[in-house]
Amino acid sequence: MRTANRVASVLLAGALLIGGVAVAVQAVLLSLNRPPLLDTASWLDTLSGTRWREPTVRAVAGGTLLLGLAILVAQVRRWTPVRVSADERDGWYLHRRCVERRLTDAASAVPGVRRARARLRRHDGQWRPRVRATGDPAARAEIEFAVHQELHRLTAPRPARVDVRLLPRRRTA
Amino acid sequence: MTNAGHRLLWTIIALLLVAGGAVALAASLGTLPGVDSAAVLLSADLVDRWRMAAPWSTLSAAAVGALVALTGQRLLARELRGPGGTLRGTLSHPGRRPGRTRLAADVLTDALVRDLTGNPGVRRARVVLTGAPPHPDVWIRVDLTADAPAAGVREHVHAAVRRFAATAHCQPAHLDVTARIEPGHP
Repeated sequence: MRTANRVASVLLAGALLIGGVAVAVQAVLLSLNRPPLLDTASWLDTLSGTRWREPTVRAVAGGTLLLGLAILVAQVRRWTPVRVSADERDGWYLHRRCVERRLTDAASAVPGVRRARARLRRHDGQWRPRVRATGDPAARAEIEFAVHQELHRLTAPRPARVDVRLLPRRRTA
Repeated sequence: MTNAGHRLLWTIIALLLVAGGAVALAASLGTLPGVDSAAVLLSADLVDRWRMAAPWSTLSAAAVGALVALTGQRLLARELRGPGGTLRGTLSHPGRRPGRTRLAADVLTDALVRDLTGNPGVRRARVVLTGAPPHPDVWIRVDLTADAPAAGVREHVHAAVRRFAATAHCQPAHLDVTARIEPGHP
């Protein structure tokens, strides 16, 4: 969402700059009775011939309302933080994605685990690793141990528990 | 511009879109008082009044266009400039005797970056100083190698900041370090 906001802001800034310059130049040319930059007569005719109750107007108004609501929900909802606080006293943070990748690698390296994916989610003000893996169900304890070991290696705070969801491998018929 | 700034900007834009869309939809459905849904979007009366007000109407449109373009230019400049409030000048210290010590902020940040990357576990480092010069806020981002001992690098970073504070006589008011660690090799 952060990247989307930045890209959207750059596009908005470009549109405002180009649109503003176009409006200003067009208005000055019209004031001086010079031939305008853009032919706005057709736009004027369209707006003068369209009624409020027409389906096109309703569709555009409804689309604008929905777009606004979608952007509002995306901005207001809680975002997953980019960083994980390792120790608030000395201002040391770990990049969340990097920690997730390391935990994924650690879980994948456990014997009997075929595929693993680790996520860090905040729960009751604490970070809790969630590992979803495919492999031997008996490997659960080893995955938890590997995750704790990796977090210790990264000097990340020790979580109260590690959620491990282990799916057995599908047997081919 | 900061993430919070972007979030605020797009929340305001979203509220404007919702308000505009809701008003237009109400006008289209005939539920908006004072607006006839059978009327055209741009009435002939309005067009006539615009033409009668020329050249002031077109000149005011030119002024609005210039203001919009200026807003776009300012927003674009803020987007391309990166985080605001970065110290680019000098850190100045009044001495006990007459005179002042001035230190270029760029030189100080470069020195801290060199000190940080002196550890083999630190592949890259980025330092940004913000805030008031005598006690700036220090923002550090370090990219660590996959095999870097995180505890050792952490101690190295704090030692480098202590050296920075002692050399420049510039105790950070706030220290913020973000470590990015390369994926391991299972």
